[in-house]
Amino acid sequence: MNAQKFFDLAKAEGVSESQLRIVRADSIAFSTYHHDFDSYQINSSQSMQAAGIYNGKYGTGATEKFGKDSFAFLLGALKSSAQNSEHSNTVGIFPGSPKYKKRNFYNKSLAETPITDKLQLIKEIENRFYAFSPEVSDVPNVSYSESNLVSEFYNSFGLKLKQKRNYFIISASVVVKRGDETKTSGDYIFGNDLSKIDIDFFVKKIVKAGIDQFGGEPCEPKPYPVLLKKDVFAALLEVFLDANSADEVQHHSSFLEGLEGKRVASRVVNIDEKPLLPGPFYTYYDGEGVARTNKKIVNHGVLLTHFYNRETAKKAGRESTGNGTVAGGKIGTSSTNVIVKPSKKTTNELIAKIKDGVFVTDITGLGQGLNPNSGDFSCQAQGFRIENGKISTPLDLITLAGNILQMMKDVVGFDDQYEFIASGIGCSNALIKTMSIGGSKE
Amino acid sequence: MIAQKLAIEVLNAALATGGDYAEIYLENTISENVTLDNGKVDHSSRAQSYGCGIRILQGFNSVYGFTSDLSRKSLLTLAGQLSRRFEGERKISVKEAKNERIPVVNRMHGPLTDVPVEEKIRLLREASSITMGVDSRIVRCQVGFNDSHKDIEIWNAEGSVAHHYKNTEDHGRFFDEAIAKEGNRIESAFEGPGRCASWDWFVHTLDWRERAKKAGETAIRLLSAVECPQGKYTVVIANGWGGVVFHEACGHSLEATATARHLSVFSDSIGKQIASPIVSAYDDGTIPNEWGSNNIDSEGHATQKNQLIKDGICVGFLVDKFNGRRLGMEANGTSRRQNYQFEPTSRMSNTYIAAGKDNPEDILKDTKLGIYVTNFGGGSVEPITGKFNFSANEAYIIRGGKVCEMVKGCTLIGSGAEVLMNIDRVGNDVALGQGMCGSQSGSIPVNVGQPTIRIQNLTVGGRGGKLV
Repeated sequence: MNAQKFFDLAKAEGVSESQLRIVRADSIAFSTYHHDFDSYQINSSQSMQAAGIYNGKYGTGATEKFGKDSFAFLLGALKSSAQNSEHSNTVGIFPGSPKYKKRNFYNKSLAETPITDKLQLIKEIENRFYAFSPEVSDVPNVSYSESNLVSEFYNSFGLKLKQKRNYFIISASVVVKRGDETKTSGDYIFGNDLSKIDIDFFVKKIVKAGIDQFGGEPCEPKPYPVLLKKDVFAALLEVFLDANSADEVQHHSSFLEGLEGKRVASRVVNIDEKPLLPGPFYTYYDGEGVARTNKKIVNHGVLLTHFYNRETAKKAGRESTGNGTVAGGKIGTSSTNVIVKPSKKTTNELIAKIKDGVFVTDITGLGQGLNPNSGDFSCQAQGFRIENGKISTPLDLITLAGNILQMMKDVVGFDDQYEFIASGIGCSNALIKTMSIGGSKE
Repeated sequence: MIAQKLAIEVLNAALATGGDYAEIYLENTISENVTLDNGKVDHSSRAQSYGCGIRILQGFNSVYGFTSDLSRKSLLTLAGQLSRRFEGERKISVKEAKNERIPVVNRMHGPLTDVPVEEKIRLLREASSITMGVDSRIVRCQVGFNDSHKDIEIWNAEGSVAHHYKNTEDHGRFFDEAIAKEGNRIESAFEGPGRCASWDWFVHTLDWRERAKKAGETAIRLLSAVECPQGKYTVVIANGWGGVVFHEACGHSLEATATARHLSVFSDSIGKQIASPIVSAYDDGTIPNEWGSNNIDSEGHATQKNQLIKDGICVGFLVDKFNGRRLGMEANGTSRRQNYQFEPTSRMSNTYIAAGKDNPEDILKDTKLGIYVTNFGGGSVEPITGKFNFSANEAYIIRGGKVCEMVKGCTLIGSGAEVLMNIDRVGNDVALGQGMCGSQSGSIPVNVGQPTIRIQNLTVGGRGGKLV
């Protein structure tokens, strides 16, 4: 794709400055069902997203069609978008950062591993599930997906950036049965190095999580000290990260408004954003072409910075933090590789003093039960009772409700079970002073 | 989008190794969005989605691939790569193609994407000022209009004659989100009516001024709502969008994607009682111009009105071609997908509990203590166990048959099988509400619906202690 041709055409049509992002994605995906492959996919897609300044206003356009009329479509959409906008974009197109920390974490060997080996791998995983326990009654899904992505970024100031990455996700779910009780459990592994996966650990973890749910008892609804499993804490932390968008804060629609530089969490909470962390989520420039950097977000409970793009940064009289994204015609913000510092305590040490608490291992429906503006949430949960410092019996049909900001302020501590999760957050299990647990016990 | 000769060539390449069905799904979609933030146009955008999905079935196996390059070379390469998953001999040679006539369910007077953006902005500006004018505590109002025009062609073959279908899909959705703030408390409310209809309908028939006012008023009322109690209660669910309960708790578990593999609590339920005898339910993709309606499904079948439950007895599933093979059932026009990047499967369209005999006021009057839910944020279900949860964003306490204080942070959880049996009152006021449903074949527009219903013994989650 000749980006310069687009910039020349744009200039001729009165678009004073412009940028072009091109993404090419190739992927494979397949899954097994009852020892046979019932789904097998080979995909390739490409897309172009243009942005530019027309009559002093910012506009965008996007297409997946690469042909002789594509640039004309993009320019038509861009000009119409700019003409209708009443939003005062004061920053224009970004010429480029002085320096970029470009590294390559594309794993050629993953792409070159024969597809037959990958098919064999998930068949093997399925077999090991059935072999692991007679209580495994079904393995509805073992699937493998692999993506190879090439992103290119050009602008009319001559900036050229390119990034290539690949990663795989293996996911699986099982059904376990004991008497009349049926439970399900699932998990995933992701990365870009197949040699690092431990199938036995993966299989054991999923089956055990299903079997451990047998014999669930109703729970008395009340506030409890709550240990949040790392995946659950990561899901709730995402709400905090979204609310940290300077755009939301400047529109008075974030619970973090007025809290930059102030305490937003307990002193044990330390959060960094590390977009340059080696791995599949490494990225060295943002959606506006600004160089990304590693930085502290929360230091001993104090919020050091919101996430700024160039426009919100200008409004706040500061520099962009390299968190800009362009999606659906709007410049927003996002974060990549967010790391919550773990402690050296084991899980048992962390919960040693809890007499009557709850260990929440999974939540469902957070997206529906959440008010992202206030941080209030209520959702279905799964978990175990904590009695006299020990994780004990499973709980049946519980709900977890709370407020994200209050939860961050009530963090008692983290354990040492650190893991980097596919959502791009690295954290360990978190103990919260109290959260509201709902249950079906009369 | 491609010539007949090339379509036949691609189908034959796909069927070269023993596939018994091949399908080409071609799509060119223009989508447009315009959003006003506090009365000013924040952004408007126009985007094009363009590509092709190829699917081959052989018995109980399926292969699928997509590409956004519709050149001959690209399509033949993809068909060849996919066919190599099978190792048999060719069973089908496609010789010719027949253009199929399709029924017209959604009549349009021109695509919504052809309506000048300025016209949409005019309407949205007024809606925004209505919402903002409700109360000075409305600190932010985002109103917008999303619309799309999709040109689709499907070529499929399971014999020497291929079938060719041409369809268009048009969707429009008005949305209004109000955010109210008082002190440190922030609450929000959302209205999002949508339809496969022309611009005239949105301007003159849709009560958008009322909906804009309602968004503002609900957000303000929520500022003084108390925390929802927790425990097991009698729950009355209002008509319309309240049908999300049935959608999540039961509808997904009746999709062949789940039932064909015995991954649903209702897998072997045809002919069995799965609901209270006062409950009947349908999935109907043929209601003219409704949000979940379509002329044909993603496989070329005409959409249908399918009864799922009759007087509490399960009488049908939502069946697509592939999963129908495992079930030994015919496809019934319910195969859907978000776009060419998704393999189609059985999905809901306009799904609702049919009207009963009760007057909705009587249902409330006859409830001594409970929760009245008038609007939901959405929900999710785990089809294998039928466990669901959904979140109410507008709910009230019922005391002595009267609707009392508003509560916030209300989640309903339970299992679909249990809830259906525990419905003890069904109103006569059936209505539909619009939403987006996310599942295996992507995010698609669906209507949920029901009359006012009452459910006994439902678990309610909140932070407000016990209800007294």
